[in-house]
Amino acid sequence: MHTSLVRRTLVALVAIPLMFTAACGGGGGKVVIVGQKFTEADIMTQLYKAVLDNAGYDTSVKNLGARDIYLSPLMKGDVTISADYLSSMTEALNRKANGDSAPKVASADEQATLTQLNKLAKKDGLTALEPAKAEDANAFAVTQKFAQDNHLTTLSDLGASGLSVKLGGNSDCPQRADCQKGLEDTYGIKVSGFEPTGFGSQATKDDLVHGVTQIGSVGTTDATLDKLGLVILADDKHLQNAENLVPIVNSDWLKDNAKAKKALDKLSAVLTTADLTAMIGKVDLDRQKAADVAKAYLKDKGLI
Amino acid sequence: MLASVAPASSDNCLTRNDWICGKYYSSRAGDLTDALVQHVGIVVVSVLLGLAVAVPLALLARRYRKLEGVIVGTTTALYTIPSLALFSLLVPVTGLGVTTVVIGLGLYSLTILVRNILEGLRAVPADVRESALGMGYAARRMLWRVEVPLALPAIMAGLRVATVSTVALTTVGAILDYGGLGDLLVDGTRTNFKAQVLATSVLCVLLAVVLDLLLVGLQRLLTPWTRTEAAR
Repeated sequence: MHTSLVRRTLVALVAIPLMFTAACGGGGGKVVIVGQKFTEADIMTQLYKAVLDNAGYDTSVKNLGARDIYLSPLMKGDVTISADYLSSMTEALNRKANGDSAPKVASADEQATLTQLNKLAKKDGLTALEPAKAEDANAFAVTQKFAQDNHLTTLSDLGASGLSVKLGGNSDCPQRADCQKGLEDTYGIKVSGFEPTGFGSQATKDDLVHGVTQIGSVGTTDATLDKLGLVILADDKHLQNAENLVPIVNSDWLKDNAKAKKALDKLSAVLTTADLTAMIGKVDLDRQKAADVAKAYLKDKGLI
Repeated sequence: MLASVAPASSDNCLTRNDWICGKYYSSRAGDLTDALVQHVGIVVVSVLLGLAVAVPLALLARRYRKLEGVIVGTTTALYTIPSLALFSLLVPVTGLGVTTVVIGLGLYSLTILVRNILEGLRAVPADVRESALGMGYAARRMLWRVEVPLALPAIMAGLRVATVSTVALTTVGAILDYGGLGDLLVDGTRTNFKAQVLATSVLCVLLAVVLDLLLVGLQRLLTPWTRTEAAR
């Protein structure tokens, strides 16, 4: 016990200086990929890593606690690529450039938002590559039975049905234009009550299953919906911002690395919301490792 | 909880989300070892860094009464800075690497170390100091041959608290993906992965106990006179 601990400690003491050198090596020929700290970002960074490794790059991945931490290293080039979200990144750069109260520039229109994003990103030395088809947007789910019984596939259907529904979601939902207010004003849905159970939380989903609420606020890549017997009603009037997964890269680095863009664009052209949701399920429910899941997917699609 | 409502494709302790799961240990042994090694390394380097900074600060505080308030006040106030804020402040200067985590944790350890070193030196009886002076000890020799040895129990007590608290604090390094076991713990908590939460928590506690015992052993080695006294 003691000897193995001593050995481990010694190894750690040797490893620490190595970690320091690894941390300093980001500016060289290496590619540093970052994402935030949740399963979806974990999978995205591993997908980027696998396609770039395959293209001959020497990559490393870091999953960081918040976007604020990697934004400035990304501009400086210490970080090469971030796994990001179209509208969230657009608004983050918008706030940075124009202040917290700046008018919103992101929208449900993917192409328009991408144009806005690249306009803002250019000033910071960043470029948004091709967004994936896959999208992690806010959405509203009902039980499959409720949808079938009332012939609902879209939020407009629910508005037209005249049904009164109780809503579950984040505590700020009643005031938000993309949440309860939008459901009422844009879709004409009659909301009879609200349960502040959180965005996409287990409690929000349990309430739907048990009939406490009839509609709940969830994410489009929630891997548990199908198994819980829940289904998302389509946002046919585009209440939600486009939140496609998009690689943000350092522009200086991109100049000499067209083949990296090509590899990432190829992935974005293939990756769908359903694919991403299935991969999240493999990690969060089957407890497979994100790196293994990402590689298996890319092999299956012939991308590596 | 997720797994209980959602039967997964294959039934095993991983998909059942058991607290204790052999398949977890066998499939993640490498990850756990890497995380533990990183954790030990970060703790050791952070505390050593803290000690290297705390000793001169404590000596300064003892020598110049006016500085004492500033030094003790500042090192105490450091502890109140939220880790997310501290790391975010350090990142532009020290980058996204382990350096930032080590510096942050080293700063946090100052709160305990500076106070204990200062108190330890203060507690050296005045007559002992006078005797040493009478025997012709110069200031520096008196510090290392008389005062530091007598202050060692207090210093070691501080070092033990600082080490154990750094074992726990290292997990916040997960913000920068350098949290040792904390990286796995955060992932486990977020995805309700019970086997991972339990394994990393137990390893953290064991690590703290082992490091504490090692320091107790070190203290016994360094202060043999306290043992003979106890035996009397």
